[in-house]
Amino acid sequence: MQENLEKTQNEQRQQIEALTKKLDELTSQRQTAAPTASPAAVTTNQLNELNEKVNQVVEAQKKTLPSEFNPAIGFVGETVFSYRSKGSDQTGSDRPGGFDVWQRSLEMVASASVDPFAKGYAVINASADSASSEATLAVEEAALQTTSLPGNLELKAGRFFAEFGRLAYIHDHELPFVNRPLALDEYIGGESQSDGLQLNWLAPVPHYVSVTAGVGDHFGGDSPNPDHPGTFRAFDGLNFWGRLSSYWDLTPNWQLESGISGLINPKTEDRGGALLQPNGVSTLTEKERRLAGFDVKFSYVPLQNNQFRSFNWGTEVLYSDNRYLSDPDGIPSNGDEFKENVGSLGMYSYANYKWSRQWSAGFLFDYVQSTQNHSDVTMDYSPFITFALSHWNQLRLQYTHTSHNAASGLKPDDAIYLQWAWIIGAHSHGWQQR
Amino acid sequence: MKLKSLFVTLIALLYAAQIHAAEKIHVVTTLADFTRQVGGDHVEVFSLATGIEDTHGVPMKPSFVPRLNRADLVVLVGFDCEHAFLPALLEASKNPNIQKGKPGYVDCSEGITPLEVPKSTDHSEGDVHPGGNPHYMLDPELAKVAIQNIYNALVAIAPQYQADFARNRDAYLATLDAKIAEWKTEAAPLKGAKFVSYHNHWVYFAGRFGMEYFGTIELKPGVDPTPRHIEELVSSMKADHVSIVAREPQFPEKVPALIAKETGATLVKLPIMPGGVPNTPTYIDEMDYIVRTLVTAVQK
Repeated sequence: MQENLEKTQNEQRQQIEALTKKLDELTSQRQTAAPTASPAAVTTNQLNELNEKVNQVVEAQKKTLPSEFNPAIGFVGETVFSYRSKGSDQTGSDRPGGFDVWQRSLEMVASASVDPFAKGYAVINASADSASSEATLAVEEAALQTTSLPGNLELKAGRFFAEFGRLAYIHDHELPFVNRPLALDEYIGGESQSDGLQLNWLAPVPHYVSVTAGVGDHFGGDSPNPDHPGTFRAFDGLNFWGRLSSYWDLTPNWQLESGISGLINPKTEDRGGALLQPNGVSTLTEKERRLAGFDVKFSYVPLQNNQFRSFNWGTEVLYSDNRYLSDPDGIPSNGDEFKENVGSLGMYSYANYKWSRQWSAGFLFDYVQSTQNHSDVTMDYSPFITFALSHWNQLRLQYTHTSHNAASGLKPDDAIYLQWAWIIGAHSHGWQQR
Repeated sequence: MKLKSLFVTLIALLYAAQIHAAEKIHVVTTLADFTRQVGGDHVEVFSLATGIEDTHGVPMKPSFVPRLNRADLVVLVGFDCEHAFLPALLEASKNPNIQKGKPGYVDCSEGITPLEVPKSTDHSEGDVHPGGNPHYMLDPELAKVAIQNIYNALVAIAPQYQADFARNRDAYLATLDAKIAEWKTEAAPLKGAKFVSYHNHWVYFAGRFGMEYFGTIELKPGVDPTPRHIEELVSSMKADHVSIVAREPQFPEKVPALIAKETGATLVKLPIMPGGVPNTPTYIDEMDYIVRTLVTAVQK
């Protein structure tokens, strides 16, 4: 809207210049014309008419349009068509087997400056499930971000995707592949959404070093405990996270970016309640949540034609070390419960090669151990190919083979996905999309 | 004792170097040549682009962030030419002094009336620039406006060096004016010559030197050509005797070469920034190369 206003003002400015120039010319002609010159050449009426036109344009510039205060608004639509070879009862997937169409993201993004000191933005996301006829509407992000704090600091407050790891804070439709990596779903619960505060500091050194620390009252896909509504949350009931990241120009065309991240929730308020285990009897209740991650990304981004050729290889390794209260007989508080730490490892690694402005292809490998049982392992193998008709219109075809080991009791699965994502309205090349 | 005096000397040298460095104005820019010409010894210039990049595809390298963090000025072409990378870099820089609207944000398009201001910014028209075509730098007369804007910004931040900036500016403008006269003479054969290019970079250049800018290989700004568009372009180029196909270095050669072959036009490579082709480190070198290349192509 701001750009439209500026464009309008530019046009009006040009009109004023043209009219003023014409007025000056006519006035000059009138002054230099011989006394016997025909009065029809320049009349008072013509001058008055021109003056009136100039005044109208000047007045028009002074008017404010109601829409000029609108934020920049964009809309993202994302549909995922899929076919899975097994039903969700055999795969543990939250989507049905067979043919499926899922409006995964219908996302409205609005952003604007609040004042000279901060900007605000919001991401409202809807999804529609044809299988269940349900539609959900949620505030994915709504946060204030400072723009002028001293000391290289930036504060974010509200609901936002916390800066953790490499892809946890990337929206689904912006991922380099169709589905979020298994380790992020398992250990974070999707995106790293939190309601809280996050402070970022850029180290005042010639080398890029960024440090982030945050606190919030949930992190990712927290499942509220159905048995403890309205629980009093002490300070140690909050989530605390941090990230340290850096970057190197290996050559003008090759880049390396790396980071380490950590999350701790010392008292999870029995997040998710008593989790029934595969034996159908025992339960685990989460008491403490701890997660550490290391991520690295190599990129080939040639200066000359990176819109037509590039290569990325990204890898993230996550270690979850949660503390549970284990109840072997599933009967609470009868004396057989004990505390148990479960350490689980997960990782993903992907490579993506772009050979034209429109085409790119890659491969994703996923490995994850269950947070409740590190012997329960799932692996995904996903080749994918992306066709970008334009900057705002993209199709991606992905095949995924999922395998589980015997511990989970789940069956291997083959799936094909066709993702179609599009954007209308304002769009910005944000820092996270680099 | 020897070690102590060596240590003291070293500290003194480092301190002197810091003082010297501290006196320089740190500028991060996409117009490095002009900034150096006007700023002279009083500026330390870092260029976000080397010249071979697409202005819409300069990588958002985190290594740019500390430089922007320490910058006194960010000097840009404007008209959203840098929209694909600069806003995010500025936000990451955490330098409030160089944010848009602040004195340290130097938009060199100030005072230039843009061409091709779009009636619609709807995406059906491609990746259009709402403020108009931003590639005014290829018109050396308009480049002088940018030079004046850089001068104004440097004087505002360091008025103690105004005399030096004015001397540098005037000397450079005199050189540029002489070159403009030379180019206008040299470019006489270009009048009325028709050409296409990969992206819509050349409307200002064409207007200045009397060429007819026939169209673009891209279907729309930022949208690759479809086979049908290529077919229609070839057909209309043949009908209108378009004699030159210009390829900017950041675009692949395959389609421009095909179009040149189909139409019998001459394929040329034209930079859009200093450094875009070898041996063109300055703006004058760049414009020399462009004029000479086009004249040679027309005279073939």
